[in-house]
Amino acid sequence: MARMRFDLTLLLLFAFGSFLFFSAVSADLVISKLDRRIDLSSHIVRATTSLKVENNGAEAISEFLLPFPEHQAKNLALLTVIIVEGKGKSKVSSESLPVRIVNPKDSPPSLVWYSITLPKELGKGGSLNLEIKVALSNILRPFPEKITQADVQLIVFQDSAQVLSPYAVHMQSLTVKLPEPKVESYTKLENTKFSGSEIKYGPYENQPPFTYTPLAVHYVSNKPFVVARELVREIEISHWGNVQVTESYSLVHAGAVILGEFSRLEYQAQPHLRGASAFRHLIAKLPARAHSIYYRDDIGNISTSNVWGDSSMTLLQIEPRFPMFGGWKTTFTIGYGLPLKDFLFKSGGERFLNIPFGSPIDDLVIDNLTVKIVLPEGSKITSVSVPFSVKQSKQEKISHLDVVGRPVVVLEKTNVVPEHSQYFQVYYKFSNLSLLQEPLMLVFGYFLLFVACIAYVRADFTISKSSPSYLAKLQWDEVRSTIQQFEGVVNQCLIVHDKLQASLRDLSRTGDLQACKAARKTADSTLKELLKDLKPLISFLQSSPQAAQILPKVEELVAKEKELQEKIMQKHSIVVESYDKKSGIKDTENRVTALEQKIVLLRQEVDDLVDTIDEI
Amino acid sequence: MAPSVKPISSPVPSEWYPSIALFMLCNGLVVTASFFIYEATSSRKNRSLTKELFTSAVASFFLGFGSLFLLLASGVYV
Repeated sequence: MARMRFDLTLLLLFAFGSFLFFSAVSADLVISKLDRRIDLSSHIVRATTSLKVENNGAEAISEFLLPFPEHQAKNLALLTVIIVEGKGKSKVSSESLPVRIVNPKDSPPSLVWYSITLPKELGKGGSLNLEIKVALSNILRPFPEKITQADVQLIVFQDSAQVLSPYAVHMQSLTVKLPEPKVESYTKLENTKFSGSEIKYGPYENQPPFTYTPLAVHYVSNKPFVVARELVREIEISHWGNVQVTESYSLVHAGAVILGEFSRLEYQAQPHLRGASAFRHLIAKLPARAHSIYYRDDIGNISTSNVWGDSSMTLLQIEPRFPMFGGWKTTFTIGYGLPLKDFLFKSGGERFLNIPFGSPIDDLVIDNLTVKIVLPEGSKITSVSVPFSVKQSKQEKISHLDVVGRPVVVLEKTNVVPEHSQYFQVYYKFSNLSLLQEPLMLVFGYFLLFVACIAYVRADFTISKSSPSYLAKLQWDEVRSTIQQFEGVVNQCLIVHDKLQASLRDLSRTGDLQACKAARKTADSTLKELLKDLKPLISFLQSSPQAAQILPKVEELVAKEKELQEKIMQKHSIVVESYDKKSGIKDTENRVTALEQKIVLLRQEVDDLVDTIDEI
Repeated sequence: MAPSVKPISSPVPSEWYPSIALFMLCNGLVVTASFFIYEATSSRKNRSLTKELFTSAVASFFLGFGSLFLLLASGVYV
């Protein structure tokens, strides 16, 4: 507190001194009306200033200067300036004007100057309505700095009743809005009024430039003072349909530090009396259609969470493992998946990701924010466009099914407030064919497995190539292959028999005798060929000693098959003859039935023999 | 004046992922089974390399795509 006083007196001295230097420059611009509204309802101080600037000088001015004391400039998270035209319903706001820090050479120390570039020069006699929004983080001071569990949290806010400006102000007023309709104490200057939950200072008329009247407001605030010392957001895109966001938080309660012990019993019995300064819940507003939400920390899953979803957003309410009192820390990770079509777009030849920058948690101040965007393998990043200044760098990450690694864009920013949750874009190029790389890699992996199997089956790993058991195995392999070939031939014979039977049935249906005879001819020739093929196989089997067991069966099969063949041929000839002679159906039936029975029996036996040979 | 902006989604509708995974994996396993049956029952002389390679190519194609869609269906968006 003493240090603050010293700062302010120094400031006053320098302000008075610099009045002489700056009077020449700023004699032209005059602020005719200024309304300042400072909102203290959360731990981020938001000040909105609407002012009307008039150019009373001869030259056109294109720049508007805005100084801030150094302790405020250090904690300045956001400064936006817009031009407002019209009143009430016809209000039109322009885009945010460019703001930059300048260093005028005659500036007193401990002042930081921001220069706002006007889009059009303000001509002689012209006037302009500006609206300036400032968000300051970490500037509220808990006083007393240490409290017990039963105390309420009291905060001190220090500022000036008049706005610090290098221009003369004709009329200005200040409204300070408190979170609750009561206040411990506040500086009573002239024209001060406290009503409801607002303190009004002003109106002050005809103030010279650099007037600075320090004021302090000491009030009760039990709103959660959530500050994330470190937040790492990782956004991973997969073109197969998902954007996965993983956020790791390291939170601290940045209000009055708790003194003494924490009694869980008292807290649970009377949470409003014994624990008014603590907070239990945090609310995060996730985009709509977020799925697979998880909330965990190093220990494991934290089950005290709730999700409510509707078509415009998904509300996630999380409760850390313990209530957060002043000075207490907690770390956790939140993750969720988002559908791809809400955030990834194609424009021209490029794709771009359009996603909010800051954290989804309400009213959170982040000291160090790192946003990492992981693009799929094979993408080429072209540009990143963020609406405010960030520090960019690139990394590589190796993730599922990666060969080379995925490109990562890393954006870093300090002192982030919820107003920074604006959409930013990352532009990159990616061809759809690169999407095939992942399944082709898997296919190739499985193919290598199969090739290994093939190689193993074909390779010969025996140590001694002349041992009797090895030679016996070789011979048995040969016998087996011969038998397989023999079986193939027999099966072909059987197929020919079946064809003949089918031709007979066709004959009975269509009466086409010529086709029947032609079928018989082809059958005859095929059977002759098959018989020829059979001969070398049988001779090999007869010569090899290993086949001693099988040989009788094989020969039996050949004999039976020959019999079957003869019988079928007989039947066929009888039927064809009878057709030729056009004898009665009953006649043919009689002659054929006996043959038919024998054929069926023989066929059965042949099939059995084939099965037994198979089993060996 | 500005080029049109179209949202991008996955080339295959994501509701089909489990069905495609099941279909591909079943086919892949059936072809793998036939490959191994061929290996087991054929003798050294009768094996044909082209048949083996063809069967293994078809099997690895189905198994590869099936396991990719299985990963996607179970939430590992590779």
